[in-house]
Amino acid sequence: MSEELQIALSKEEGDKAVTVMRLNGSLDANTQGALESKAKEAIESGADYLILDMSGVDYLGSAGMRAIHAITNVLSPDDPGMHSDKLKVLNPSPAAMKVFKTLGFDSFIDVHANVDEAIASF
Amino acid sequence: MRLELEADLGQLNRIREFVTESATSLGIAPSLFDDLRLAVDEAVTNILTHGYRGPGDIEIELDTAGADLVIRLRDKATPFDPAHSPLNDPHNSEQGDAPGGFGVYLIRTVMDEVSHRPLDPGNELTLIKRGVVT
Repeated sequence: MSEELQIALSKEEGDKAVTVMRLNGSLDANTQGALESKAKEAIESGADYLILDMSGVDYLGSAGMRAIHAITNVLSPDDPGMHSDKLKVLNPSPAAMKVFKTLGFDSFIDVHANVDEAIASF
Repeated sequence: MRLELEADLGQLNRIREFVTESATSLGIAPSLFDDLRLAVDEAVTNILTHGYRGPGDIEIELDTAGADLVIRLRDKATPFDPAHSPLNDPHNSEQGDAPGGFGVYLIRTVMDEVSHRPLDPGNELTLIKRGVVT
């Protein structure tokens, strides 16, 4: 795993099995694979719903968006489009949000500013 | 300001820091740094991923021309012209992503001008942000 992106997982108690992935560092072409691997591992271990906490992400490029797209496809293999009800994004920086919007991902993936709201939205 | 390196994806962080340092030295407003870092990161990523398909020599230069900021990236990789490559607008496509498609789309969104000329061997990609040098 890249040293430039740390990923910490925690499971939230609730009606649904929600796993929060807290990302810290840069989400670029160098770290895209690490995020995809960690997410796939979590999904294979039973995580049905994911929140990507991006509070600590200081850089997001298109590679990060490709990782998010790939993760949504693992979460919903029967629905290979970009839209996902099983993945939410928490607290992206203004620069990261601009990338989200420029690539149109804000139309497909919910973005939240509060973790409790994000959990309740599933 | 110029950086020459045998680049791999592990050095993207260093390359983005070089862009920040150079833009600061050239007196560019910090509010533009995110766009500049994004454009250069995406361009380098495309060179390494689609041009060299691995590590390779890259030269990055930031300079001013009147009120414009000019960024030039030179490589010795397979010819690739993102200035005229097919542009998949991700808003209009569920699949969205041609090779390098998202990156090229971002570069062309945040920069005012993107042009390419072939070198022998390699490529020179020029990215211009207009009216940002005071």
